[in-house]
This record gives sequence, structure tokens and C-alpha cells, in this order.
Amino acid sequence: MKLQSLRYLTASGLKNVWVNKFMTLASVGTLIACMSIIGMSIILSDNVDKALGSIEKENVVMVYFNDLNSVLYGSQAENFLAGDEDATSTFVDASKVSDDQYLVHNEAEARAVCEEISKLDNIESVEYISKEQGLDGVLASMNPAQAEYFTFLKDEANGNPLSDGARVTMSDLSLFGETLQKIESVQGVSSTQSHGDLAEKISAIKHGVTVAGTWIVSILIIIALVIVSNTIRVTMYNRKLEISIMKAVGATDSFIRLPFLVEGITIGVTSAVISTGLLYFIYKAVLETLKSALSIGQVIPFADFVLRLLILFIAIGVLSGIIGSVIMIGRYLKREGSEFSAL
Amino acid sequence: MQTGNFSTEKKSSVIEFIGVSKTYENGTHALEDVNIKINKGEFVFVVGTSGAGKSTFMKLIMREEKPNTGKIFVNGFELSSLSRKKVPLLRRTMGIVFQDFRLIPNLNVFDNVAFAMHIVGASNRDIRKNVSRVLNLVGLGEKARCMPMELSGGEQQRVGLARALVNRPSIIIADEPTGNVDPNMSYEIVELLTEINNRGTTVLMVTHEHQLVRDFNKRVIMIEKGHIIADNQDGGII
Repeated sequence: MKLQSLRYLTASGLKNVWVNKFMTLASVGTLIACMSIIGMSIILSDNVDKALGSIEKENVVMVYFNDLNSVLYGSQAENFLAGDEDATSTFVDASKVSDDQYLVHNEAEARAVCEEISKLDNIESVEYISKEQGLDGVLASMNPAQAEYFTFLKDEANGNPLSDGARVTMSDLSLFGETLQKIESVQGVSSTQSHGDLAEKISAIKHGVTVAGTWIVSILIIIALVIVSNTIRVTMYNRKLEISIMKAVGATDSFIRLPFLVEGITIGVTSAVISTGLLYFIYKAVLETLKSALSIGQVIPFADFVLRLLILFIAIGVLSGIIGSVIMIGRYLKREGSEFSAL
Repeated sequence: MQTGNFSTEKKSSVIEFIGVSKTYENGTHALEDVNIKINKGEFVFVVGTSGAGKSTFMKLIMREEKPNTGKIFVNGFELSSLSRKKVPLLRRTMGIVFQDFRLIPNLNVFDNVAFAMHIVGASNRDIRKNVSRVLNLVGLGEKARCMPMELSGGEQQRVGLARALVNRPSIIIADEPTGNVDPNMSYEIVELLTEINNRGTTVLMVTHEHQLVRDFNKRVIMIEKGHIIADNQDGGII
């Protein structure tokens, strides 16, 4: 096709957008409705995903090292701190424990174990927690009276019964059990503490949200494509006079299709831009309302969606234009074939 | 003007039907064993009652339909074996005039005519020059900026004629061009077609108006029940 024709047809397609303004408005309106619902589904799904991600991040595994305290007190230290006075009856006498009965003798060795854990698959972060930090944490979680009572444990003479440990987070909670087993098998790890059930539930909900979101968005995209393609087909039927004249005077199929393609793409891109703008205001308004009413915490800022939504919407618009003009008109051009009696 | 490869013996004919039959899928026998030859520069009236086969005859020439049997040659193209892709090339060698004018309502007179030139990829300069020339030829030079709805039936048909002529086709196919205009205007349209024919363009005109056929005294092909029942060189059969 000559450049001259290309220019003429592009201009003709753009002109048609205005000439068929009622049809254009109908198409743009339909597309905006579909795109907005698609956008809202994506925004909602991403925000739910992020919220679950935050919970996921808080679901840490506490790893306790095989140090002197783990030999002396074992898991009884926690019971003791929980107020079980009898727990002390099971404590081992420190003078009877030799250095070779445990693996982690100092902070350097504890950090080396942390390093080993961080090398495992699916480990997002490993944070070394000294027994002093651990005790501070436990005391901070108690009510003031309890905390005051147990403050004596901070004295060197009484001895802190907790072991050195690490706070470990995982990237993928669906692999929680498997990863936990690997952590427990690392040399120097004495015991672990976690909420495996919660991890599995969060993982299942996240998976469900992703699957449902993908289905909803996919179905809506298909609906948008079908609706817009049909709108273009209706536009085309409205203009069969023009098409029959074009065919009669020797226009090729691509010459007939191109203005429809330009028209479809223009409608698609216009709808994409309007939908993105509309979603910005809807999102802003919803956040304002929810923030004041429910004190919702961190949500994903709209700026993070803009590019993705715009690209997706433009793709839908362009695809609708192509499907409408190439496939639908192609079918019509082949089937109709009537220049004398097309009307 | 682009044409196909003419064989030597077909040099003088622009349209030739050899043993052409057309039966539609519903079983209607539209044309049966039609043999006809129309030479370059001829003016031919095609007449017949409704359902006689005139429309099928025109559709076959335009390659809107394909014959079941026989061969059709138009401007050097053999139509029964012509691929769909090449049909536009065939149609660019002919100008079509419709009974209902078929002007694009949202384009002005100039753009309606220019439209046919854009299809063949003509330059803007050629379009300006040729559209003005044909509009002057059909007497509408002053109405180039008018919209179709602002024109009378006769004027609209002259725009249709200008559009058919603008690419300098070797054949004009006019499907009852006087069917929607008043009697005086009918004569003007046919006079215009005669003038175009005098400049060397072959004209094939389907009509119901016997008086017009008698008055212009041209070759008349009469179709009835799918058969050519008369082919007279001087219009004497009417």
C-alpha cells in the first residue's frame, strides 16, 4: 500500500470516529465499563495479595541454637518464663556440662549457623537474635508486673535461661513444612517454633485470590473483546453502503479494513486512557472513605498500577480493534460479496 | 489503465461470454449458454423483464458471481479463474454507475469522486486535477463542495457518473442509471454516456426504459429467462 493511501486511510479512520460519534460513544462507554471492572479486580486482588503478604512476613520461624542453655534448660526455659515454677526441677547442673556437649559456644558460631540457614532455598531473611535480645523481647511481651518480676534474669549471676536464636522468614509459605525440615537439619539448630497451620492457610488464601483474580480478569477481557468486536461489526453493518461502493470501485480488502482498524484502535486507546483516569479517582475516593472509616493500613499506591493498567487497557483496545476490523470485516467481505445488491 | 493479458484474437473485444451458464444454489437458472461479444468502443443497452437474468449478467461481468460453466473475458481478465485477490484490479478497469447513485452521504461531491482515485493510490495533485476535470465534464464543476443531499436526483447520478469516469476506465457499466431520475434528466444522463462513449469508452447500460433505447438507436441485447433472445445492432428490436 502506498504511503499516500496509508495517510488517506488513517485520516479517514480518525474522521469516522467523529462522524459515527454515537457509535463511538457506545463503544467507548462499553469499553470503559469493562476496563474499569478489570482494573478494579486487579487493584483489589493486588491489595488483598499485599495484605496477606504482610501477614505472611510476620509469620516467622524462631530457630533456637544448640548452645549451653539449650543443654541446661532445653525447652523448659520458656515454661519457666511462663510462670511454671516446677520447670526448674528438670534443669541440669551447669558444672556437669562439658564444652563438647553442645555446638554453639559464642556469637560467631551462632552467626555461622545463621549463614548456613540463609543458604537454604526459600529463605527470605535470617536475623540473629542474641539471648539478651530474646529476653528483652519476652519481657516486653509481658504485663508490667510480670516483667518486673523476671527482670532478675538480666543479672549475670542469675543467668538468662534463653538460647541464642534467629528469626527466619520464608519467601513462599506453600513450601513451609519442607523448608522447616531443612532448617531443623542444619547443624547447630536445637529447636524451632512456628505457626505452620497459619502459614498453610495464608498460602491457600493467597493462591485462591490469585486464581480467582486471574479467572475474573480473563473472563472480563474476553467479554470486552467480544463486546467491542461486535460494536465494530454493528458499525460496519451501518456502513455497508460505503463498503459496497469501495468494493465496486476496486478497493482491496486491506484498503476497506484499515479505516476500521484505525477507528477501533482510536476507540480502544481513548477508552484505555479514560478508564485509567477514572480508576484513579475511584481508587482515591474509596481509599479516603475506608481510611477514615476503617483505619486501613498500607495499601498499594495508584502510581504502582498506572503503567500496568494502561498497557493492559491499550492492549485490550488495540486487540478489539484488530479482531473487529480484521476478523469480523474479513468474514463480512468474504460472505457478502454483493456490490449491486448489498443494500 | 491496468488490464490483463489479452490473447490476439480477443484484441477488439472488451467483454466476451463463451457458453456461460449460471445456476444459483437455490436452483434458479439465471443464465443458460450465453455467448456474446462486446467490442471496444461500443454502446450497448441490456434490456429484459425483471428476473430475466440482467443482474446476473452484470454481476458476472463485475466478478461478483462466478459462472458454473463457460468462460468470461473482461478487459483481458479470464473471470472464472480469477482469484479473489485480483478482483479489485479487474474492477479498476471499469466504472460502475448504480441506479440508487450510492454516494457516501457524509462526503461532499468532490470527495465522493476523489474517493475512487484514493483507492488506486493516486497522488493529491492528480486527484485535484482529474476530479475537477470530470466534474466539469458532467456539468457539476460549481457544485464540488455541495453535500449529496443538497443535489437533485439527476445531479446525484451525474456525481455517480463522474466517480465512475475519474479513473479513465475502458468500460462503463451502468445499472439502470435513469431509474431514479425524471424523464428529462434520463435523456441528459444517456446523452452524457453517449458523449463518454464517443471519446472511446465502452458503455454497457441496463435499462427498462424502452423509449430511451428506441431514441438513442444503439446495440440492444435482450435477455429473457436466462437466454439472449435478441442482439440487434440498431435498437430495432424494441
